[in-house]
Amino acid sequence: MRRVAVVGAGMTQFAEHFDLGIKDLVPMAVTEAVESVDKVFDRADIDAAWFGELTTSDGFPAGILADSCGLLDVPVTRIENACATGNDAIRNAVFGVASGMLDVALVVGADKVRESSARGTFWEWMGLTRDMAWDYPVGVVAPANFALHVMRYLHESPATREHMAMVAVKNHHHGVSNPKAQLRFEITIDDVLNAPPVVEPFGLYDCTPQSDGAAALLLVGEEVADRYTDRPVWVRGVGLGLDRVMHQHKADMTTFPPTVKAAKRAYAMAGVGPDDIDVAEVHDCFTGVELIDYEDLGFCERFGGAALIESGATAVGGRLPVNPSGGLKAKGHPPGATGIAQCVELFEQLRGESTNQVDGARVALAHNVGGPTAVAAVTILSSERA
Amino acid sequence: MSVIALGTYLPVWGTAATRVTLPDEDAVTLAVAAGRAALAGSGVEVRAVVFVTRDQPLLEGGNGPALLAGLGVAPDTVVVERLGGAPAALDAVLASAPGTLVIGADAGTGTGCGAAAALVGEGEGLELALAAREQRSLPVRARSGDGAAHDYDDPRLTRERGTRAALDRSGVARKAVAAVGIGAKDAAALCEGSAPRVPTTGASAPLFALAALADTRASGLLLAFEQAALTAVDVTTRRAHVHRVERDPQPLPQQRATPGPEIRISLAAYDRAFDAKVRLQGGRCPHCGTLALPPRHRCLGCGAEGDAELAVLPRAATVYTATTVHTPVPGIATPYTIVIADLGDTGVRLLAQVTGALPGSVAIGDQGEMVLRRVAERSGVPDYGYAFLPDHRPVEAVR
Repeated sequence: MRRVAVVGAGMTQFAEHFDLGIKDLVPMAVTEAVESVDKVFDRADIDAAWFGELTTSDGFPAGILADSCGLLDVPVTRIENACATGNDAIRNAVFGVASGMLDVALVVGADKVRESSARGTFWEWMGLTRDMAWDYPVGVVAPANFALHVMRYLHESPATREHMAMVAVKNHHHGVSNPKAQLRFEITIDDVLNAPPVVEPFGLYDCTPQSDGAAALLLVGEEVADRYTDRPVWVRGVGLGLDRVMHQHKADMTTFPPTVKAAKRAYAMAGVGPDDIDVAEVHDCFTGVELIDYEDLGFCERFGGAALIESGATAVGGRLPVNPSGGLKAKGHPPGATGIAQCVELFEQLRGESTNQVDGARVALAHNVGGPTAVAAVTILSSERA
Repeated sequence: MSVIALGTYLPVWGTAATRVTLPDEDAVTLAVAAGRAALAGSGVEVRAVVFVTRDQPLLEGGNGPALLAGLGVAPDTVVVERLGGAPAALDAVLASAPGTLVIGADAGTGTGCGAAAALVGEGEGLELALAAREQRSLPVRARSGDGAAHDYDDPRLTRERGTRAALDRSGVARKAVAAVGIGAKDAAALCEGSAPRVPTTGASAPLFALAALADTRASGLLLAFEQAALTAVDVTTRRAHVHRVERDPQPLPQQRATPGPEIRISLAAYDRAFDAKVRLQGGRCPHCGTLALPPRHRCLGCGAEGDAELAVLPRAATVYTATTVHTPVPGIATPYTIVIADLGDTGVRLLAQVTGALPGSVAIGDQGEMVLRRVAERSGVPDYGYAFLPDHRPVEAVR
């Protein structure tokens, strides 16, 4: 298997893009990725594309990518893997390039969450992701999915709502410098604790906003990488993990086994461990989830999440900055785009070009968990080839 | 023939005078709660169920199987769905053979909400003998197939040409020990001594009265009215088992409704899940004994496929995790609380809404039981399943 490099990355701003459809956002992200390439990039070089989209806005996803970007001669495959869609799209494109069947792959992720009314979205998703007979008459809307985990986590671990609030404050602070972020303002612990309740234990500021956006990466085989750049970012590891779909079958809800499995695979492929990670973009759709992520990804011991956030280690300037882009919390979360946008941020971090730069970052990790918490994907990038 | 056991059920919401239901209860779930109370510990094999109500959830069919499943009796048991009020419920008891469970349920407006059930058997109990029956038409409330009710709203006419005219024609001049289906004041006037107060005026009312007579070991005349109809019976009371499921009333929670798109029902999924979901049965692997809820093709334990058998699961439940949804959700009044709870010590968990307690009042570790509720109504179909009813404790405010 040959190595795979990222040579270009781009994304739209994450926002409530009422004025832009999926057919606008996708070509905008692709063009930004193409223009980010250091040397000349000809779209005709693209051998295949993968398109991560959770919901189906305006119809047939693969066709929309090919059509809206003028890539009618490029084969496109749509990936849908719940909130792990973006990083799974990358994983599939990596397989294509690494196999030698392709030299240049385009990976795009996008979603238009705000095509529905704000109140209707969770309900519509519930119809898509639940057991028709057993789950959704009960009312497990998306935040409740994670709340059932986090309530048990708060019960068993030393973490409190204050620790969750620290995640929100940190990620909002990180997002201020990111021009692509949806929520670019500082908040305080009190703001978080006193916000209107959404789903216990989450208040308004514990939750990701509903976002529209698109992100794109250009992946190439190692033999052709120098045609495009002299400073590629290497895809060192990819991993995907699954779990029982129904919550009632998850024995221990204080952890996300899909994350543990995906991380184990990605670390093994990359030949690195949690201690080697210099910067990470992790799934913080709800604040308490970031604390569980720390543990599942091996950044700290089990139930050490509270101490880790409290120590400041995960803020930019700390030992292991997490979500320097603002994370899902402040940057936004159009699910199909989320994982790819994480890698756009890490591409910039590893090339020293981020607006919220982590000094000397060489190894970076991206992570998503979702799909009634039954799927996770992890991607490990590095400025070093091996 | 005698009534050997009685069960009563009142929804927890409302006031001591009038109980009301939230959307998760209807005539079927009320009937199941009362019926299970009557059957508790009786050891009697139920051969027929007579369901008397004017509030059938499904007019075209489907109530009977849900009722049998909720009661946990055999699916080939005869179900008679009888449209009627207080006189009809007494008529049903009079006509019943041993092994019949007669349930009266009231879920509509104007009757109060509640249900009561009488188990007819052989041996000691309450013996009923018909004293008089009058059937006259005075439709002071008119409700047709479209569900719209028209009330004539003339209490004096109802009293004169309904209650009194029926009683006069019947020729029954004796004072009664209980009178139901009419207002408490009118009832007291027809009774000797202190008449029992019953919480409803519909089909469940005479069965609530029988439970009261059993409690006080009182014998005498029982009058059951509806509009201008009357059934009068002489009750001879000997020892009968009475099981009441009647929690203290509490005010309705403050909830808001949100309009929005409906998630339509899949009747194929409804049909596949029905037995397990409404009887609360899991799949049990005959090879390794592993239980699974919902039942599944491939065993969670040993991987055997296609062999699982249904097995009844315990209803006693302990909360593993809980959350309260405050954000507006189309079709479900918010806030509401959902739990994942362990069923007994089986290792099986159920995801369920909380019922009979204020939103936000349930915490990890709380104990309670799973009870049949109308979990949702989708595309007009009542979707029955189980909800978590926490053990009784003082009312707490929303956290």
